[in-house]
Amino acid sequence: MAESPVGARQVGRRATIVCGALVVSPTSTVFTPQELAHKPVALDYGNGTAYAGLQMLEGAMPRQAVTTCAAATSPAERFAGLMRGDFAATVLQEPWITVAEKAGCRLVSTTFFHGTWVATRDVSPDAYAALLRAITRAVHRINADKRRYVSYFKRDWAGHPEVDALSVDDFNLGRIQVKEPGPIPESEARWAWEWMASWGLIDGAFAVTAQIDRSLERDAHELAAAVRAG
Amino acid sequence: MATTLTIERVMAFMGLDVLVARDEGLFAAEGLDLRIAALPSDEIRSAAEGSAAKPTTNQGKLQARGESQMFQA
Repeated sequence: MAESPVGARQVGRRATIVCGALVVSPTSTVFTPQELAHKPVALDYGNGTAYAGLQMLEGAMPRQAVTTCAAATSPAERFAGLMRGDFAATVLQEPWITVAEKAGCRLVSTTFFHGTWVATRDVSPDAYAALLRAITRAVHRINADKRRYVSYFKRDWAGHPEVDALSVDDFNLGRIQVKEPGPIPESEARWAWEWMASWGLIDGAFAVTAQIDRSLERDAHELAAAVRAG
Repeated sequence: MATTLTIERVMAFMGLDVLVARDEGLFAAEGLDLRIAALPSDEIRSAAEGSAAKPTTNQGKLQARGESQMFQA
């Protein structure tokens, strides 16, 4: 991540793993990601879904064939643009992947990615540990009965007719993934940084201490684990 | 006395766990008063305004002005 003006750093992985899908319209002639070479793919630059989109595309074609355009942050707007034919494809997340499938769109690729928590220096290990313990319990509840929690994806977009029309059975529960939050592996943080730099999306060399507050991360995770074990 | 922690708004696709923990009282059970702050709608900018190299993002804006302590990236 870019340097924070208030000295905030990453302090661990979040629990919800995002599913991103590369989606084409029902009338598209594209059936594989390779067929998107030199075709405009709308990405919400600066967000995880956009980076996921680049990764899905670069796995299927030379980098110079990857063609993207700026898209709205709102997946509702990206879906609407796709259906209007404004671009050849876009990347969506839930519940808009399900909306798109129900509208006859095709998923030509899907991927999953982690995100992280970013904290200021005044977050105490005790407070962050309490957050981690509560989230861990939530993860266990969600994994025990994903159908029970699908309504959360609809709630975020209440009032959008395409989302309101979805039933629990429309959702692919395999796209809803949560796991206990944990530390950020340095090798993965370094790879992500260097991958972004290779696309010109970030400048400078990776420095783990500038990116991750290992002290808060370690202390909070140890505290959380100790209370859970006790 | 509960510890207060303010985070920036999350949505289900990236923060389902947080929303469930809040609604089912799991933060309160840990003695944590978790507050979720949302950026005013007139301050939200669309990614369509940015470019790949210079994106516009709403993440961390509240934290940068001292109105939240954590956000998801």
